[in-house]
Amino acid sequence: MKRRYLGVLILAAILMMNIVFTQYMVHQYYYENYENVLIFGGLNIVLFPLAVFAYKKTINMRA
Amino acid sequence: MSDKNNKIPFNEDNYTHNIERNNERKLDRRGFMKTLVGAAGVFAVSSLPWGAVAAKELMGLGEKEYPHKKITDVSNLPIGDAVEFKFPGDHDDAILIRLSENKYVAYQNACTHLRCPVFWVKEQGEMICPCHHGKFDVETGAPTAGPPRRPLPEIQVKVENGSIYAVRVKRYEA
Repeated sequence: MKRRYLGVLILAAILMMNIVFTQYMVHQYYYENYENVLIFGGLNIVLFPLAVFAYKKTINMRA
Repeated sequence: MSDKNNKIPFNEDNYTHNIERNNERKLDRRGFMKTLVGAAGVFAVSSLPWGAVAAKELMGLGEKEYPHKKITDVSNLPIGDAVEFKFPGDHDDAILIRLSENKYVAYQNACTHLRCPVFWVKEQGEMICPCHHGKFDVETGAPTAGPPRRPLPEIQVKVENGSIYAVRVKRYEA
């Protein structure tokens, strides 16, 4: 069966962004830039529905 | 009931489709993608407490004054010596250094790299973290060498009637 790995790629990219945002968030917290903590925390949270959406969109794609 | 799941391949969009008796350890593409989505969820949930604490600080609840705490008597601390104390909580290690007759500096001495305790080395005139040889400037708390990138949080001190008191933790300028 032919498979599309686009969904896997998108999800891997989302996970990478998650890691980057988390790193930024923690560092900005210790720098006491609390607005930036909220921004990156929010981005992290937004990424989750995005990941669910990407999964649902790509899971039944057939090449 | 009769026409449910009688297609081949049947629609298997559920959360347990790849649990099989024979190869239950096998992770197919779909299962892998679900793991990725779950990981994104874990990241989302784990950023909530950081956001909560940051929001709390933004609303000014973190600015509160701690009760002044006596560190030591001036007569017990010769010039160039340091004494360790706890401020503001019982688990927040801090260090007070007497630089000259009337000049005292105090920092929370958890290294800003991985929170090892930072020591005052009198002979070299530097604050040194023994874990990875991070060094801090004693006048400002700024990191001068090694892995740490952030300055040590400074504690304001006050001398009154021959005793030294810790007053509050300074905010970063950044």
